[in-house]
Amino acid sequence: MSTITLFSASDAIAAFLLAHIAYVFPAPVKGWITSGDVVLGLASLIFGVILLGASMINTIMLIWWERKLLGRFMDRRGAMHVGFAGLLQNFADGLKLFRKDTFRPSKADSLGFWMSPTAYMVTSVVIFGILPISTGWNGGSLPLTLLLALVIFSFAPLFIFLGAWASNNKYALIGGMRSAAQMIAYEVPILLAVVAVVVLSGSFNLTTIVLEQRNYWFWAPLFLALIVFLTGMLAEMERIPFDLPEAEAELVEGWNTEYGGMLFAFFMLADYVRYLVGSILVVLLFLGGWTLPTYVPSALTSFPLAGIFWFMVKAYLVFGGFVWVRASLPRIRTDQLLRLGWMRMVPLALLSVVLAALVVAAHCLPVLGCVPSMGG
Amino acid sequence: MAEPAPSPPGEAPGTEEKPLLWVTRPLATAARQFAKSLWRPSTVIYPFERLEDPKFRGEVAVASGRPIGVGEIWDNYRGVHALNINTCISCNLCAFSCPDVCIEMVTVPGGDPKHPKKCPQIDYGKCSFCGFCSDACPEGCLSMTTRYELTAHKREEMVYSPAKMFEVYKSKLPMNPIRVERPKNEDQILLDPPICIGCNACARDCPTQCITMLDIPKTTPKPGEKVPKRIWKEPVINDSDCVRCGTCISVCPKDCLFWGTRQ
Ligand code: SF4
Ligand code: SF4
Ligand code: SF4
Repeated sequence: MSTITLFSASDAIAAFLLAHIAYVFPAPVKGWITSGDVVLGLASLIFGVILLGASMINTIMLIWWERKLLGRFMDRRGAMHVGFAGLLQNFADGLKLFRKDTFRPSKADSLGFWMSPTAYMVTSVVIFGILPISTGWNGGSLPLTLLLALVIFSFAPLFIFLGAWASNNKYALIGGMRSAAQMIAYEVPILLAVVAVVVLSGSFNLTTIVLEQRNYWFWAPLFLALIVFLTGMLAEMERIPFDLPEAEAELVEGWNTEYGGMLFAFFMLADYVRYLVGSILVVLLFLGGWTLPTYVPSALTSFPLAGIFWFMVKAYLVFGGFVWVRASLPRIRTDQLLRLGWMRMVPLALLSVVLAALVVAAHCLPVLGCVPSMGG
Repeated sequence: MAEPAPSPPGEAPGTEEKPLLWVTRPLATAARQFAKSLWRPSTVIYPFERLEDPKFRGEVAVASGRPIGVGEIWDNYRGVHALNINTCISCNLCAFSCPDVCIEMVTVPGGDPKHPKKCPQIDYGKCSFCGFCSDACPEGCLSMTTRYELTAHKREEMVYSPAKMFEVYKSKLPMNPIRVERPKNEDQILLDPPICIGCNACARDCPTQCITMLDIPKTTPKPGEKVPKRIWKEPVINDSDCVRCGTCISVCPKDCLFWGTRQ
């Protein structure tokens, strides 16, 4: 595996740029510009820009992926004509939305109305800063990345509700209420499922969790937790079987009814950012992150950036699973949603925590190899 | 991804299935559809490929099950009208029957100056392709073809003159002569003789020339009664030639023609 890391890459870019910029300045300024602090600062900036750009492009590609997959599920072709196989269609759509007027209903509250799309977007994108994509390709290895990611992820209902309330529209308000209720209800099973993973891996650090899966991926012993996590993620993302907050047939467009143009694009993009984050979390927690099983020929894992490649392949496949669910299942009712959450998912998640504890207690699985001891 | 679905309240006990099936069965169906359309979805990428293209032969069948021929869409397709100007008798029935009032009778060359020949002109901006006009046409000269391309840059281009529809007729596209089987029309044109003034308007305007003005004997007025002011002729209608267009009724200045059944 290549030893380039995201930070070393941005550091190299920054040093290169600054060396060339410093060329035109006199000696004292030159020395200051090429000093470590300035390079470090610019490197951090470049690091952020790369992360932002990569996450945005991936998000837009995710929309393309969903449109193509949904098309096949419905016996159509999806986007086709702008760019190769419609790859640029979403950029064209974005451009169209960008050119549209953004306006605020006269009775809507100005601060909340403008703030919530931005805050929703920011809190969704910022998670990318801490998700490890491959060894070295993350924004610093904090000990509690998993918790931090989930905490940021669960900011969303606040801003959705804020935007819905500020819109001063009954449909938006109902949608916002539903969204908040649903997201809060499904936090519980999600966190319990995550607890199972944490028990098995002995760490809250996503990088450690991935590395702990070198012998076997966690989906096999924690299948129940995986199911709970996927269901909970579907509910958190408000995707189709759980898309009550924007049930088009009842609520016009749900909590973003009053948003148009670029503000709508913000919400939509942030939604897809969340889908991407959700898929990435599934890959990190249950599907071995950027690693592949050892029996895979090493040619497949040794080309440059192989880790990122396999990671994205897995993330897109997981999202493909979400699209599959969207193409198949009808929307469920609120009572069914809450009953499913509290009466099926929470017990299942508790059971999976117990299972994880048993696996750790047994220490060695007969076939799969030994589990590393806890603590870490 | 197979999360167990909740059991709905109020479900009849006999019809209840295993909740897991509610999730797995749609998933399986969707997966099957996905696999089926992975190679080629059934979308026809229209401007680039068309149903008429030979590569779709055998895939598309008409209602009877016969694979459709090259250039055909469906043999019962209701597209642009074809008009045979030569057999049109200018009876107006198509214009009368059009629910969208998109048919206007316009003069075409070929009639005599006193009695110009009129044929339908259709505004496809309004036409709903219902086929009523084609159904009403007594001569079978207005029928619908399989041509479906009507796009135009201006509204005026969507108005098809009789000559343009005659071109369509001459291009020999597959036609759908909509002719609903109807019970024989028993209604006939009847005359209220005392009111008729024998003005010849009906006979002049009858598109099928089935009205003949026959001489009738002059009546002798009873004492105190005024002699009707009339030319001593009366229309006699040949029922087998009459197409029931009603033109005679509408041109009659004295309203003495009416629908009815002859005893
Ligand atoms: S098809 Fe129907 S709408 Fe069109 S011209 Fe004929 S009668 Fe009118
Ligand atoms: S109904 Fe037929 S014959 Fe009569 S005017 Fe129309 S096209 Fe001509
Ligand atoms: S309805 Fe009158 S005008 Fe029309 S064909 Fe019959 S007789 Fe002639």
